[in-house]
Amino acid sequence: MSYALIIGEVRKGVFEERNLDSIGICALLQKETRLLIPDNTYAMDERLIDTIVKAKIAEDMFLNPINLANMVEHLIELHGNPDCIILTNSSSGTEFASYLSGMLGLPIITDVSDLDKERRVFLKSYYSDKLFGEFALVEQRPFILTVRGGSFKEHCVEKVNSPKIEYIDNFAVNDSRVFLEYVEEEKSEVDITKADFILSIGRGVGNKDEVSGYGELAEFLKAVLSGSRPVIDKMWLPKARQVGTSGKTVKPKVYLAMGISGAFQHIAGMKDSDCIIAVNKDANAPIFQYAHYGIIADMHKVRDQLKEILKG
Amino acid sequence: MNILVLVKRVAATQEENLHITGDGKEVDLSKLPFTMNDWDTYAVEEAISIIEKVGGLVTAISIGDAESDEVLRRAIAMGAKEGLLIEVEDILHDPFVRASLIHNFLKKENIVFDAIFTGVQSEDDQFASVGGILAALLKLPFASMVAGIDQIEHDVMVIRRELEGGLQERVKITLPCVLAIQSGANEPRYVSIMGIRKALKVERKIFKGDAYGADTKTMIGIMKWVYPPKKGGATILTGELNEVCKELLEILQTKGVHQ
Repeated sequence: MSYALIIGEVRKGVFEERNLDSIGICALLQKETRLLIPDNTYAMDERLIDTIVKAKIAEDMFLNPINLANMVEHLIELHGNPDCIILTNSSSGTEFASYLSGMLGLPIITDVSDLDKERRVFLKSYYSDKLFGEFALVEQRPFILTVRGGSFKEHCVEKVNSPKIEYIDNFAVNDSRVFLEYVEEEKSEVDITKADFILSIGRGVGNKDEVSGYGELAEFLKAVLSGSRPVIDKMWLPKARQVGTSGKTVKPKVYLAMGISGAFQHIAGMKDSDCIIAVNKDANAPIFQYAHYGIIADMHKVRDQLKEILKG
Repeated sequence: MNILVLVKRVAATQEENLHITGDGKEVDLSKLPFTMNDWDTYAVEEAISIIEKVGGLVTAISIGDAESDEVLRRAIAMGAKEGLLIEVEDILHDPFVRASLIHNFLKKENIVFDAIFTGVQSEDDQFASVGGILAALLKLPFASMVAGIDQIEHDVMVIRRELEGGLQERVKITLPCVLAIQSGANEPRYVSIMGIRKALKVERKIFKGDAYGADTKTMIGIMKWVYPPKKGGATILTGELNEVCKELLEILQTKGVHQ
């Protein structure tokens, strides 16, 4: 019996919500699903799955490429090749998907955000969402995907029966990579997730000397200043002020994004804001697709003009 | 410690409009500047700062056309000992093909190493896959999203991986290994034009990709390029800058975040 294998992403006892996108694409592909998770108790809607495979391994050793590869090989011995193996486009998802591709010699497509069943193509982001490529498999064979968060969850359907539960414990556990501990972010002076009004700056800010001008603008506006990944990477703003998948998820009343083009990892961290206003000189910047209001202009000129008006 | 770093030359598209040509078959990159993939600059920096502490040498390896010599020179200017170019004419979209090519190259040329560093992903295709595939082909331990290396010993490293929402995990990984380095892991050193010019004096070796790709068949293909799917789209405020800014402040008032 053919099936889709979903690698369940779990962290600190939580079955991550993004797994619904992996389950959703399997429903769209009309595959019988087999979900692999550690043998713990997780709050999840089990009716969305046909079979749940519980692996006898500690959670923090589960999302480890070598161990997972051993579990998948063990499952293939038991049940034959899956038609596809699905993960999400997360830190652990891409890490393991690529490793498994090399291990099993299977094609991989990452960050899939849509598919066209008739034409058998998968839509994948290129150039930070400025373009997308429609990818197809050269031959029909098992394949590996990572799916973009939020892209497929609405396709999940409840099954008629409760899932079958299987257990595996007869697989190798490797010690060439060992989990030591979680490292929490340092406590910071500001919690951007509590702000009603956020002014956020991105790569377009250009250089460090320009940043203080946005600090002043934020003060004038009584907004909290945050940044997208490039600004944090360059250490122009502290990590605690990062908005995006690897930073904070924010839902303020107003999110004013200046010089942020709108890479998906950023969008995922702010798309549920009540009102999004984007300032960018590139009229085709992806952020304008998510914003309610847009200004196509040089961000520095807008900053200086706003300060001028507010001073007066 | 011998560290290999994979570096890629990519179009700098952050500030540019991209155009699809030839009925979806091509992306016009002809007018764009090219540079070292941003993530790879962090990988090179991480490798250089390690050998500065514990000794050893860094070798930069790139797959690409002859122009990719530019990113090898940049890596050398940052402190790499030498640059190796695996020359291919076509763009290889399939990360499996790229990883196999490097795997075959390392085996055939008998290149020894303690670690291979890559950037987490490249700016153009964002596949984030070459490092993982290569690690599996080499049967070596792998970690991606590496945000920092806390400890280096003879045969083991303690590293931090970025997870979600500001959380990291600390893991111990055995050498040799493959690590994909995340942007922000360090501060890539500045190199001057002079520095890159001086790197011309350091030999870069060129290898023809055909010699290492015989059994590597592409498994996926791009059928067509498309522009991003349209979502709602913003109401664009137009007019003189002063008017636009006043309108912006009015919106802030309406939303109750500005008096």
